[in-house]
Amino acid sequence: MDTHEHIVRSYEEELSALNNKIAKMGGLAEQVLGQSIDALEGRDPDLAAATIQQDEAIDELEKEIEEQAIVMIARRQPLAYDLRQIMAALRISTDLERIGDLGKNIAKRALAVVGEQQPKQLMLGLKHMGELALGQLKEVLDAYIERDADRALKVWYRDEDIDAMYNSLFRELLTYMMEDPRNIGLCTHLLFGAKNIERIGDHATNIAETVYFLVHGNVITDQRPKSDTTSSTPVPLRSAV
Amino acid sequence: MSLAMQTEIKNKAATPAEGLEEKVSVRHLNFYYGEYRALADINVNLYQNKVTAFIGPSGCGKSTLLRIINRIYDLYPNQRAEGEVLLDGDNILSPKQDVNLLRAKVGMVFQKPTPFPMTIYDNIAFGVRLYEQLPKADLDARVEDSLRRGALWDEVKDKLDASGLSLSGGQQQRLCIARTVAIRPEVILLDEPCSALDPISTAKIEELIDVLKRDYTIAIVTHNMQQAARTSDYTAFMYLGELVEFDSTTQIFTNPRMERTQDYITGRFG
Repeated sequence: MDTHEHIVRSYEEELSALNNKIAKMGGLAEQVLGQSIDALEGRDPDLAAATIQQDEAIDELEKEIEEQAIVMIARRQPLAYDLRQIMAALRISTDLERIGDLGKNIAKRALAVVGEQQPKQLMLGLKHMGELALGQLKEVLDAYIERDADRALKVWYRDEDIDAMYNSLFRELLTYMMEDPRNIGLCTHLLFGAKNIERIGDHATNIAETVYFLVHGNVITDQRPKSDTTSSTPVPLRSAV
Repeated sequence: MSLAMQTEIKNKAATPAEGLEEKVSVRHLNFYYGEYRALADINVNLYQNKVTAFIGPSGCGKSTLLRIINRIYDLYPNQRAEGEVLLDGDNILSPKQDVNLLRAKVGMVFQKPTPFPMTIYDNIAFGVRLYEQLPKADLDARVEDSLRRGALWDEVKDKLDASGLSLSGGQQQRLCIARTVAIRPEVILLDEPCSALDPISTAKIEELIDVLKRDYTIAIVTHNMQQAARTSDYTAFMYLGELVEFDSTTQIFTNPRMERTQDYITGRFG
């Protein structure tokens, strides 16, 4: 549905400010995620520290968005599409804040493993997974800006790829730890890093759901394929002995 | 949006909702002020014990529609209605309809409170006396019951002999609602009942609407979107004498299907 401009111009300005803040927050979340993976891969403590710092700006924006949304609800008593825009901004900002935190956590792990010798192959898997998540995040933020529900829906379906990659990385890391207990420290950090990326993918799908709701006014009714099976994957301890 | 879909959305107003009884059914209603057609082919249902809100810009025909349901328009020359308005299946536009009886069944409250220049007691008793001859004790009981239903009893019980005009605006409006209820109508029409009231008085009337719908079928015309959203079960959006969209209030205020409805309720240029 095309929307016309509000008769009250300040209302229009507030909505567009809200929109811009989400866009800005999204840009920062992308940056934090991208840099944290680079820092982990390149064992770059400076980049990791800078990334950790950057998360503060995301937290700050989340607070601003929440405050603005509350004031708008109180003052404008939004209805229909306006109401959905404000609710969407609130929800998306929460997801982006979580993405920022998860990215920061990856950066912290990058600091923790700076001195470790990293098997390149494992790093490649993690990097690839990070790229996938980053792609999903970019795509869903574009879908938000364009108010494109179809694009959001594609992101929603693609989360399966990240889950699949996480499953295989999980198994790989387990094998590696069983091979040599000295790898356990590093691999545990990498495992948590992978888990964080998988969670970021989930937040991207949350945002996709919100975009769909924003555009259509109802929720996605399809069943999303859930394929993160690691919580039910047994750890074959005996073979490690 | 295709014409077929627009028609489907329009027709929803006259499609029976599941499990609900149609108290008032408006069918193919046209209304004329002299030569001017103020309503064009209106089809809509008022469901038993539900509140239906009518929204739309000034001059869209909401009040005109309400004025037809109890035939108040009959009091004015050169106004005529075509089509059918069924109350429990009987066409009230029929010349055979006893208009006084109809107005006892379909009560109306206007934008500005209109207390009679008489005591609070008589404001309520006046209408009752027109339709029923009650012994004093029964009439007293009816007055008390009506004032209680109008959420006014506690404020006026010690001054029933005071003039209705001595009450505040909000109290006067509740007096008018109590007066309407006293005749034991089946349908209550509220034409912008809170537009001249402060928020507390408005809240009291809205609470009253919630309570009254247990016993009556209610239609409310309001320019306050939030009020329509708060008080009604169904909402009809009208524009230039036509009914544009009718749906559950939740649907209309969270996800209207017609662009024009969306533009209106969110305050946009259409």
